[in-house]
Amino acid sequence: MTDNSTILVAVILFSIVLIAYLVIRPSITATRGGKMLAFVALLVFPVLAGGMGVNQHMEHSKTTNFCLSCHVMEDYGKSLRVDDRSFVPATHFQYGLVPRDKACYTCHTDYTMYGDVNSKLRGLQHLYAYYIGKPSQPIKLYRPYNNRECLHCHLGARSFEESEAHTKDPQALSRMKLNQLNCSTSGCHNIIHNVGQLKEATFWKEPAK
Amino acid sequence: MKSYSTKIERRIRLAGSLLIAGLLVELVTLRWSHPTAFLFFLLLGGALMAVGIGVYLLSLISSENKPPAE
Repeated sequence: MTDNSTILVAVILFSIVLIAYLVIRPSITATRGGKMLAFVALLVFPVLAGGMGVNQHMEHSKTTNFCLSCHVMEDYGKSLRVDDRSFVPATHFQYGLVPRDKACYTCHTDYTMYGDVNSKLRGLQHLYAYYIGKPSQPIKLYRPYNNRECLHCHLGARSFEESEAHTKDPQALSRMKLNQLNCSTSGCHNIIHNVGQLKEATFWKEPAK
Repeated sequence: MKSYSTKIERRIRLAGSLLIAGLLVELVTLRWSHPTAFLFFLLLGGALMAVGIGVYLLSLISSENKPPAE
């Protein structure tokens, strides 16, 4: 348990104790001190606990375990461990190019001003599709993957800017940066999760720590 | 002993009970790692807490608390 969640649990428990006292003895609200207690217990602490709860859930929803807790995502989780460097997500995960505990979120969030909010709204869309609608088979992104998400890390990196494949065509780099030449669909880095190939794949085993 | 509770006390009891229920939902969903937990937190816990706070605020402005008309 992280420190933040410990604090949140403490706030919730303290709020419950204060509120329970008011529920048992509501007559104390007739006094000035009782009114202040009621204000703190019935408004300030619940709002605080609710706000902290939203933040905690938001942070938790960025974790790889959270994303893979839905069984429709199991194969996508497995694809992170394919022992083949041509699988883009697997390489990023296994070589520590993205934090392993936030692997899905790191690549699938929008690196824009409201990117966090947008990605969480898409998360709610996933829930709608899962419980009320019908998830597409195979699962597809709602919109084409934007190079901006790759460039958030790769832009300016020597391995990216000076790569022979990227500099062979003098226009290629600028087109990539303008999202006119898509990294993942123009035939260069097109092996992404490819869950259909998992049956034939071998898997990397993470060494025990 | 005759128990007597005013309208404001009943409302504070109701608000408190709703808030405790909402906070307990929040507590449970924090320990549960699944997208459904977020949904429960938002729709059930959030609704209980919002209604609880609403009932409390209503109790503050209820007619019973207004000073008597001159």
